[in-house]
Amino acid sequence: MSVTLPWRTREDHRCFGCAPRNPHGLGLTFEQAGDALWTEFDLGHHYESYPGVVHGGIVALVCDETMGNLIVLRDGVPAVTTSMRMRYVGTVHVGLPHRVTATLTSVPTTLSGPALIHAAADVTDVRGDLVASATATYHRSAP
Amino acid sequence: MTTSTENTGISDITETVRAIVAEVLAVSAAELALDTDLRGVEGADSIKVLRMIARIEREFDVELEDEDVFGVSTIAEVADVVRKALP
Repeated sequence: MSVTLPWRTREDHRCFGCAPRNPHGLGLTFEQAGDALWTEFDLGHHYESYPGVVHGGIVALVCDETMGNLIVLRDGVPAVTTSMRMRYVGTVHVGLPHRVTATLTSVPTTLSGPALIHAAADVTDVRGDLVASATATYHRSAP
Repeated sequence: MTTSTENTGISDITETVRAIVAEVLAVSAAELALDTDLRGVEGADSIKVLRMIARIEREFDVELEDEDVFGVSTIAEVADVVRKALP
């Protein structure tokens, strides 16, 4: 069952990654499994770079979206990306299902100091083989 | 001269790298010598080598430079760039 993001019902929610009413967006939905959050996507030619290949920037976007929403759901406040790094391993093909699974790799243990949260995401194909991975840092912002 | 602590460190790194390489290439770790050319192992291809690198980066929480990733060809060389990347 899909998880519900805090702003899903807002009329002005037009997130390119996950807003259900953005006609140009990806309309991603998310599922929780233990401490992880995952989404599946199957993108068409509008999102490609080379013919038949999903643009690497779009792949990064889905990773960012999944990691960021994991933090939002955990903490209940928005978190903004401060840095992100991709490792592209293989090809994300247009028209084939892929999954992005995000986990947290470290969270602040105290309330003092910068509230930086580190996360990771893996992109896998239908066989479960890794095709890309991401690591990123997020900063909690005030609600 | 290296200390015993440094030797233990590189030894641990090497064994972890060897285990990941063996798993990704679906071969026995015992078949993999430190100087085995990873791209020459049966079943290896550039995607599998990058998959190994992604696993190794995640395992050690390091970000390897692409110059290193595409410059290494053996387990010993991978372990060395991991050691240098560690804080």
